[in-house]
Amino acid sequence: MKKILISAFALALFGSTISCDTEFETDINDVAVTSGEADFSRYVSLGNSLTSGYRDNALYSDGQNESYPSMIAAQMQLAGGGSFKQPMMPNNVGGFVGLPGFPGKLTLQVVNGSLAPVASDPAAALDNISSGGPYQNLGVPGAKSFHLMAAGYGNPAGLSAGLANPYYVRFASSATSSVLGDALAQSPTFFSLWIGNNDVLSYATSGGTGTYQKGNTNPATYGSNDITDPGVYANVINGYVTALTANGAKGVIANIPNVTSIPFFTRVPYNAIPLSAAKAQALNTGLYQPLKAALTYLGAGERINPVKEGNNPVLIVDRELTNLSAQLTAVLTASGVPAAQAAYIGTAFGQARQATSDELILLTASGVLGIDAQTGQPATETSTFIYGASYPIGDHLSLTKNELANISEAVTAYNTTIKNIADAKGLAFVDANAKMVELSSASGIQWDGVKYTATFVTGGAFSLDGVHLTGRGYAIVANEFIKAINEKYKSTLPLVNPNKYSGVKFP
Amino acid sequence: MRKIIATAAVLSGAMLYAGGFRVSLQGVKQLAMAHTSAHAEDASVAFFNPAGISFIPSKLSVAAGGFGINTEVTYQNLATRESYFTDNPIGTPIYAAIAYKVTDNFSVGFSFATPFGSTVKWGENWGGSEIVQDIELKAFFFQPMVSVKLAPWVSLGGSFIYATGSVDWNRSVTQLGGNLNLKDDEASGKGFGLGFYFRPNEKLDVSVAYRSPVDMKADNGTATFDVSKEVYSTLGLDANGQDGFKATLPLSDEFTLGATYKVTPKWQVSADFNYHGWAAYYKLKLDFDHAVVGNQADDPTVSVVPKNFKNTRTFRLGTQYMFTDSFAGRLGYYYDESPYEKGDFSPETPSLDANVITAGIGYKWKGLGIDLSGAYNFQKSRTFENKFYNFNGQVKAKAYYFGLGLSYNAF
Repeated sequence: MKKILISAFALALFGSTISCDTEFETDINDVAVTSGEADFSRYVSLGNSLTSGYRDNALYSDGQNESYPSMIAAQMQLAGGGSFKQPMMPNNVGGFVGLPGFPGKLTLQVVNGSLAPVASDPAAALDNISSGGPYQNLGVPGAKSFHLMAAGYGNPAGLSAGLANPYYVRFASSATSSVLGDALAQSPTFFSLWIGNNDVLSYATSGGTGTYQKGNTNPATYGSNDITDPGVYANVINGYVTALTANGAKGVIANIPNVTSIPFFTRVPYNAIPLSAAKAQALNTGLYQPLKAALTYLGAGERINPVKEGNNPVLIVDRELTNLSAQLTAVLTASGVPAAQAAYIGTAFGQARQATSDELILLTASGVLGIDAQTGQPATETSTFIYGASYPIGDHLSLTKNELANISEAVTAYNTTIKNIADAKGLAFVDANAKMVELSSASGIQWDGVKYTATFVTGGAFSLDGVHLTGRGYAIVANEFIKAINEKYKSTLPLVNPNKYSGVKFP
Repeated sequence: MRKIIATAAVLSGAMLYAGGFRVSLQGVKQLAMAHTSAHAEDASVAFFNPAGISFIPSKLSVAAGGFGINTEVTYQNLATRESYFTDNPIGTPIYAAIAYKVTDNFSVGFSFATPFGSTVKWGENWGGSEIVQDIELKAFFFQPMVSVKLAPWVSLGGSFIYATGSVDWNRSVTQLGGNLNLKDDEASGKGFGLGFYFRPNEKLDVSVAYRSPVDMKADNGTATFDVSKEVYSTLGLDANGQDGFKATLPLSDEFTLGATYKVTPKWQVSADFNYHGWAAYYKLKLDFDHAVVGNQADDPTVSVVPKNFKNTRTFRLGTQYMFTDSFAGRLGYYYDESPYEKGDFSPETPSLDANVITAGIGYKWKGLGIDLSGAYNFQKSRTFENKFYNFNGQVKAKAYYFGLGLSYNAF
């Protein structure tokens, strides 16, 4: 009896000792979120579309509510962060009625039996909400690096001349204010800066039709699709950071992802022309062989090679090629091709060639490939000239090797600048480029069992425009910012869970 | 006496399972003594060792019982400060057994039990919902058996195992904004049991038993996707968003060495060692008929998830004291290992190393016995980093069991 009592007592004692490690060593409910060396009380975010929460080719309220700065701000609020006001769009569709080039968001819909992104009409005219300011999210879709300091970038009178941006016009504090000025006026204690994507992106998304303004230090002379001179870029970024840190504010700065890691440029392969053996033979006899013979005669035979069964390269226009339209027409005519047809082919193929494996076809080309060049309708059995296969797609739909080299050179220069400035000014640094490369790898980025990749639509991270992210993609970005902030300033901001935000919406 | 009952009552407030999805609750009396095996007092020994039925002190014996299991698992993610806990329904493993001595040396028996299962309900939107929202795994073992006394002090027994089972598994399909249900009510498998039971003298019982692995084959599973209809054809689903799947879930084999020693006529102590062959569960393969939702490069309809379970051990120590000829008090302790490392944590079968305290009482009146038992499971909290899912965090759990068993030794 006594023995039993003793053993029962021993067991109970044992139970109480082992019960100690049944609990968490650190329970999240007992740990405070801290700001470390940073002060999050007044956080402002500066940037472009990515900062604004733009996605699906539009800025709309659901997207804004999942902008990466709003996610960061919410975590900062756990550690003394202040309120974070965004210049909310008046609707959930986006776009501006009456302003060309500002459609509503893309949605996934069934088109001809398969799912495709479909544009919607803009939902409302340009509004003005400047009286509701100041706004802490100062991300302006379309802004290039030098735009943030441009006085009058929010002046409605400048819209028609392209000197103002409607997204900034909406909330600019005055007709002469600048984005940077509106940020500084709030005496921010903390800032994030991610700008420069558009300094190369508009060149890239326009198929390299602009100019690489290397050495041109006057941005006022740039066209909208030009690449900003890296020297100009370094100057303006340095100026922004100097101004923003003048009063001791801390901040975080992110570099620029290379365009080759985003689906807008990787969705359509260079060899997107599938052909059967019969089709290939017909094309070779009817077009490729006579064309190659004529071009060879003109000393440019390498532009075109015969097609074969399987996937074949897309026919593109490369404006750096010598325009052989007249000569081509003459040679074809001389070889017996009817004059009208010779002229048609000569005109079309003057600067045409087949794409190579190190070149990119833009997502926008997917709406053109397979279209009959003469009718503008989907090709039929009788179509002779089909975009991509037997008729070159426009120069604005592809990026050639040289154009990619320009982009790569500029991005590398920008990113060197950003890293140097981050180091010099003691800012937290986000390697957004590396994260996008990771995302575009085959293994992608996993979070709690959900795998994100840069694959269009199904990858989950990129929105339907192939350039901007989904809420989940922005959350992955927000986490990179948070990690960089925590590492630099010894704060303990929690990460966000990307899976909790919205991805691509299926109908 | 009163103190012991009070202690037992406190302890019986609580109980759980560890060790993958093996639910070691096949005898109420046994559980009170740490679920040790060398107890041939009634037919409930049948599940533990078919050879044990030869030593039941009556010609016909029946036993049955049931348990209630209450578990709660809490997950927290230190990086995101997310925290979720399970809302599991009460689990109810049951068992029944009958044993009959055809001759003095030849016995037959039958055991029904639910030795494997897992019911976990994490909720639709918890952190690991892509892996599991809720799951219900069940297995029913039907075991006819025979046992032969090779000598007055040793018997050899064998059983055939026929198992049926079901799986009902819900999880998120986050990328498609929907959910997936995997269901099969007609899984089945076969196995066998083999054992020796020794009673070299009146003070000592030794039980040596092996139960084979049982591969539960789900050949007619139905996968139902609750996603946009517009992606059915792309995914290879039928018009209802469904597809068939096949899967095999291995139920581990188990080797048991147990002994009971009567220190005094009233007091006995028991000890057991179990070795569980969980290494058989090294991967979970779902083979869909048409749906291209797998992760294999050479066959997109096949999904393979590494499980990497390891063989585990359980150490058990129990005791019984007869306060009167008819009233027994029991205590026990066992240590049960989790079958996986932190890199392979599986939230559908959350498993932690566990120290378990058990207790119970029994009352005998003529051939009839009634037993009550309870156990509290002190599970060690653990940190995990599931590499395959990049799913990280910490879990803790509490669990308690209680059981009510009846036995009748007829004649």
